Amino acid sequence: MKTRRESKLSRRGFLGTAAAAFTVVPRHVLGGAGNVPPSEKLNIAGIGIGGRGEGDLDECRSENIVALCDVDAKHAARVFKKYPNARKWADFRKMLDEQKDIDAVVIATPDHTHAVIAMAAIRRGKHIYCEKPLAHSIWECRQLTEAARAAKVATQLGNQGQASEGNRLVSEIIWDGALGTVREVHAWCNRPISPRGIERPKDTPPVPATLDWDLWLGPAKSRPYHPTYTPFSWRGWWDFGTGVLGDIGCHQLDPVFRALKLGYPTTVEACSSNMDEPPAVREETAPKASIVRYEFPAREGLPPLMLTWYDGGLMPQRPLELEEGRKFGEADDNLFVGDKGKMLGYRLIPETRMKEYGKPPQKIARSPGHHKEWLIACKGGPAARANFDWAGPLTEAVLVGNIALKMEKQLYQKGLKLHYDGPNMQVTNLPEANRYIRDEYRAGWSL
Amino acid sequence: MKDKQLTRRDFVGAAAGVAAFTVVPRHVLGGAGQTPPSEKLNIAGIGVGGRGAGNMQALESQNIVALCDVDWRNARGTFKRYPDARQYKDFRVMLDKEDKNIDAVMVATADHCHAPASLAAIRRGKHVYCEKPLTHTVYEARLMAEEARKHNVATQMGNQGQAEDGVRRLCEMIWAGAIGPVREVHVWTDRPINGTNKWYWPQGVERPAETPPAPETLDWDLWLGPAPVRPYNPAYVPFKWRGWWDFGTGALGDIGCHAIDPVFRALKLGYPASVEACCTLVNHETYPVAARVSYEFPARGELVPVVLHWYDGGMRPPRPAELEDSRRLGTNGALFIGDKGKILNGRLIPEARQKEFGAPPQKLERSPGHHQEWIDACKGGKPAGSNFPDHAGLLAQVVLMGNIALRPVLKEDKYFGTKLLWDAKQFKFTNVPEANQFLTKEYRAGWGL
Repeated sequence: MKTRRESKLSRRGFLGTAAAAFTVVPRHVLGGAGNVPPSEKLNIAGIGIGGRGEGDLDECRSENIVALCDVDAKHAARVFKKYPNARKWADFRKMLDEQKDIDAVVIATPDHTHAVIAMAAIRRGKHIYCEKPLAHSIWECRQLTEAARAAKVATQLGNQGQASEGNRLVSEIIWDGALGTVREVHAWCNRPISPRGIERPKDTPPVPATLDWDLWLGPAKSRPYHPTYTPFSWRGWWDFGTGVLGDIGCHQLDPVFRALKLGYPTTVEACSSNMDEPPAVREETAPKASIVRYEFPAREGLPPLMLTWYDGGLMPQRPLELEEGRKFGEADDNLFVGDKGKMLGYRLIPETRMKEYGKPPQKIARSPGHHKEWLIACKGGPAARANFDWAGPLTEAVLVGNIALKMEKQLYQKGLKLHYDGPNMQVTNLPEANRYIRDEYRAGWSL
Repeated sequence: MKDKQLTRRDFVGAAAGVAAFTVVPRHVLGGAGQTPPSEKLNIAGIGVGGRGAGNMQALESQNIVALCDVDWRNARGTFKRYPDARQYKDFRVMLDKEDKNIDAVMVATADHCHAPASLAAIRRGKHVYCEKPLTHTVYEARLMAEEARKHNVATQMGNQGQAEDGVRRLCEMIWAGAIGPVREVHVWTDRPINGTNKWYWPQGVERPAETPPAPETLDWDLWLGPAPVRPYNPAYVPFKWRGWWDFGTGALGDIGCHAIDPVFRALKLGYPASVEACCTLVNHETYPVAARVSYEFPARGELVPVVLHWYDGGMRPPRPAELEDSRRLGTNGALFIGDKGKILNGRLIPEARQKEFGAPPQKLERSPGHHQEWIDACKGGKPAGSNFPDHAGLLAQVVLMGNIALRPVLKEDKYFGTKLLWDAKQFKFTNVPEANQFLTKEYRAGWGL
């Protein structure tokens, strides 16, 4: 069996097979400002390509996909085949060291390796598209945000919903005053993303020959391989994923943060089905169901706001304004409660209110497409809308919710909400919670 | 094993230290059908392990004349404590044989047998003490209230918290206007979370595949009673039946009749106008891991409409801003939100407000004790605080409606997120026809009501 490691296509060999050779000269060969001119193509590397990564690369197919990296050759096989001219790698560190023609990287690994990969790429001046959530810890988010800003690379978080019309309408309707003053938002997601509320498996099946388990673990603490982690179901495991909140929060809360100009929350409170589970459960996996409540202070002339997140099937009470017979809550959704009205998603309720209201004045430029935004930015265009200056603080705020979940029991017993100092990345009233601000890395791994 | 064949005569003879005249049952005396206060009741217990054992102890000032349990291992402590009581497995047999000897019956079986056992007793004119939730279905709870009224028997549901001073003080505070009109109430329990202590049980699980033999000491067919037949498994009995649709009523049924009782009293609630629920994935076998159930109650006289939110499985309402740091919300609790203040677990918050407010004027008579209330009622005293016709029947119906909102049918595509609208006159939900089937249930042949 052919190994996927470092398939020995040389740059020259690759050039020979590329359709239009002149487009693939990497930007650093040209020297100058460091951006690929709009008329040229980017050389893109995909890291973590088996799942969502494939879709991200599809969206970048207008460019040259020059390298593919995955620790799981079986999971990645289809995508390796799809891009026969791309060089194949298992270890992103080796790829970045050895393959010099890369302009930009698309990262869609499990959450716990986003930061180490993104940082390595940023340090080499690569543009970054990184799946949501930006990183596994708040500290990583901050480091990435600052490093990307300093390196002046083009960045985009993989929360593609931000590019939608609906995302803009949320802001424009609220800014137009259609709901009056908004003090309360409810956001929920019923997706059964992966097993949660369970203990670590006790059996230790052998690692498949096609998987480099040590590389998959990356900076995370070592543990035996198990199919409950990969592919797909790592999201529920705290060491690797960020639960439903981390997975979906960066999508779904994006329009809330934009419309209501949210920054860091000042307090967070969580309750969950993990509350009375033994430590072997609640310290290992995200809960089956949870409610996380964030308080945001007054900002830019807006009053304080309570944002409530629900997952695992929990959701807010059906709003009175919703017409009888209309389904409620089945899909992920956001409910905005203003003193003059309510909005479900980006439509006022009841629907007659929406019809009456019509359209808000357009205040936000429409997007050419989420991935396209990034490609344009990579070529010297305007910054993508979910660049890390936006995505970093958003993900940090989302991840504070996970700290409240992990500390639920302690907070409950001490009779506290978690008080958070966002700028300083500090839980101020429960020092032991701060261990979750920054992950401890395994020896040999650092940002 | 055969039911113990002690005759009434044997019993009287064997009762040590008990004055024989006290055990003549009331109907032998003829007349109004009440045991005079000076005499003792003859009480039978049905389901006497678990909670039933505690109830029997609380009633042992009277004569414990017969004990019935389908699980003689679980019942053995109680059997031993009352060596003179005749022992049965089948309550139908017991009621037939002991009809003339029994004045009153205590029922603490699994939920699915409450109604068949209680109704059989009520229809024989026996007074009934029945554990909470009163019944397994909404219809059963209504029927129990109706039949208890019709047969004029003394009843009491096993929500003993209703007898405490705390409930009375809560009512008195709210009636005194301590928090103004109440529009929102939150009630929660940490149950049913798996395995952390013996009071918890699994929910959100599938039916076990194994079919171990039933222990010899358990009559599995009788345990099933009215429920559809399925193989024995220790996942059901003892105690863990609470999580199964066919036998129990989940966290809401278990705790709701306790925890919502004060809300009913303080806010004079009746039937809700609507009930809706959200929960973790729910199957046709067990109740979900965690849930929120919300009831809307219409205005009642001068009282404003109120929404009651129930949470279980670890879900809780937000900590109220008035609650001082370092004070816990409570693993099981109730939060009343009024226009002028909040009451958490029976006290105004912050505590300074409670201190300021002091004690409300006493308007409610205090209780001699929950079980004593029933004993007194059986002897012609006033109805017990949680009697079926005036209180427990309705409370249980409303609690159990919440479980209907959790049924998988409400998670079907066409009904997701639907609020069930209740029409009390028609005794049905008007907007989800499929929900109405769960107001009652099918009974196994020979076990109908």
